[in-house]
Amino acid sequence: MRTRTKAGIVILAAVLSLLAGAGIGSVFVSPADICRVLANRLFGSPLPENFSSVTPGLVLNIRLPRVTLSFAAGAAAAMGGVVMQSVLKNPLASPYGLGVSSGAGLGAALVIVSGLGAGALGTLALPAVSLAFGLATVGAAIFLSSRLDRSLSNNTIILTGMVLSLFTNALMSTVSAANPEYSQRILLWQLGSFSGRGWEASAMVAAVAAVCLVGFLRLSPELDAMTFGEEQARALGVELRRVKWVLIVLVAALTGTSVAFAGVIGFVDLIAPHVVRRFIGARHRLVLPMAALLGGAFMTVCDLAARTLASPSEIPVGSITALIGAPFFLYVYFSHRRR
Amino acid sequence: MKKWIALLTAGALALSLAACGTPAGSGTSSAAASSETASEVSSEAASETASEAAPAEKPTEDRSGAPISLPDEIDSIAVMAPSIAETVVDLGCGDLITAIDTQTEAYALEGVPAGLPAFDMQAPDTEALAALEPDVVFVSGVSVIEGENMFQPLVDMGVCIVSIPTSSSIAAVEEDITFLAACLDRAEEGQQIVSDMQAEIDAIAAIGETVTDRKTVYFEISAAPYCYSFGEGVFLNEMIDLIGAENVLAGQEGWLSVEEESVVSANPDVILTNVNYIEDPVGEILARPGWEGVTAVQNGGVYTIDNKNSSLPNENIVQALKEMAKAVYPDLYEGV
Repeated sequence: MRTRTKAGIVILAAVLSLLAGAGIGSVFVSPADICRVLANRLFGSPLPENFSSVTPGLVLNIRLPRVTLSFAAGAAAAMGGVVMQSVLKNPLASPYGLGVSSGAGLGAALVIVSGLGAGALGTLALPAVSLAFGLATVGAAIFLSSRLDRSLSNNTIILTGMVLSLFTNALMSTVSAANPEYSQRILLWQLGSFSGRGWEASAMVAAVAAVCLVGFLRLSPELDAMTFGEEQARALGVELRRVKWVLIVLVAALTGTSVAFAGVIGFVDLIAPHVVRRFIGARHRLVLPMAALLGGAFMTVCDLAARTLASPSEIPVGSITALIGAPFFLYVYFSHRRR
Repeated sequence: MKKWIALLTAGALALSLAACGTPAGSGTSSAAASSETASEVSSEAASETASEAAPAEKPTEDRSGAPISLPDEIDSIAVMAPSIAETVVDLGCGDLITAIDTQTEAYALEGVPAGLPAFDMQAPDTEALAALEPDVVFVSGVSVIEGENMFQPLVDMGVCIVSIPTSSSIAAVEEDITFLAACLDRAEEGQQIVSDMQAEIDAIAAIGETVTDRKTVYFEISAAPYCYSFGEGVFLNEMIDLIGAENVLAGQEGWLSVEEESVVSANPDVILTNVNYIEDPVGEILARPGWEGVTAVQNGGVYTIDNKNSSLPNENIVQALKEMAKAVYPDLYEGV
């Protein structure tokens, strides 16, 4: 199968997942109706008479922002996974390993127990503070790594990230245990969810994901070189230290924003890169956008399952990504191996 | 020589660790022994007085079906749930309360003495509570987590723990009140509370039955983005039914977290909320993105209900019932 065809399949999957996510839910909205609602909002064209009064609000302000956010978060996670696995040359590397998710969790916990978590201020304060804490943790990780090891070797980054993750996680657990009346809310935040986030959240995550994608694509020759190993990359003329800095900062911003608005949702960042590499190849110029699309599609489908399988309740998205992701990953990985 | 020193040190360490282990163990076992003899003495005394003149027999089983032996004279009560605290006060035993839980403290209920030690009902300091030597400790279903009673250590120590699980129907709530009154030898007062309660409920139910075009109601107990509501098997659901309305989630069971989408597509006529931890719960609901098309939002049919009266399953649910009735059908229930 030609690469172009494969890319086409991935793009088609992404579009289908978006349509399914926007249409399926507690109320089924056909693609035609979605277009009618959009046309009504954008161009003022009239809606048909038998249209339910709640559907426009539902589609425009609940479904579409949610689908956009889940797609953007999935894309962010997948891209972060691709870059981290390439930078650290570790197939199990994850963007969360730098401490950004634990740091964001600590920030969120502090906002929630301070009482600011609820209400109008909370919808602004919570993501802002968790992003700040997430970035601060990663900043500390990079700073410590560069102090411990001038060349910023992979092992140092992994170890420092792990230590800071554990430390901030412990702090968050302490905060949660000291405030039992808020511990359930903190846990719910941690489990990750796309519900009730609104357009501001979706727009922010999508914008940051787009910017970071551009940044990663510009560095894709360096990323390709780094897959050969640090020595070889240096021999090829890559300024390893500077490139690693930039890449890690971008991943931190990307993951931090995603976690700040949607919580920590695992698995997509681990498996999407592997699936894409198996399916399409290893060149980052292709892998990055394809991983973004596949990760976004996968996350959207998982969110769809999360909100429909136990309706009207919701299953945490993280459980679904693991439930679907693990067998799917095994299938793709081993079916290609047998060939 | 070195070997002997090493062996001696190891032996000394092992002994000291064992010694550290025992004081707490021996402490609780001696406390258990003393409380066992104490309860033996009190049960002997109880059987003596019982044989002399027992006006009313105290319950031998609590509301969860566990066997209990209540002391004859109750002078100190520990209350581990605000719903029970309110009922104890209404039965006239408020001044006998010697310990409360943190929620009761937060509600600052009338009739409960000030400055009492407050315990976390889900993680109580059982040693401190036992040291207070209460005659009886009333706990609610909230203290039973995954089948495990958080007050079990006290049960093992011989303290009288009476469990009143959270009731899921109004009838069960009334039974709880009667049971509590029997425990505290206040049967008459209990009877009065229950009959007053039932009279008011009957009055509202009579009006509720006349409603032909039932409005749909969504009752929220937690605001976005973690909306929480309930279905069947919850006393609040029964109350919605009584006033002549229908819960949009009536097809579900128990307390549940709901997705905004499900509520929006159900399109309730009236929205009630007992959220009290944000400044403007009604405004928050009215401003929710995606809810603009909901009938309740369009007609301004969003009301707050008193949090305490609609959360605690005791005689005060009648106040919440009246609030709910007037919110959903203001014309019908004007005289109530």
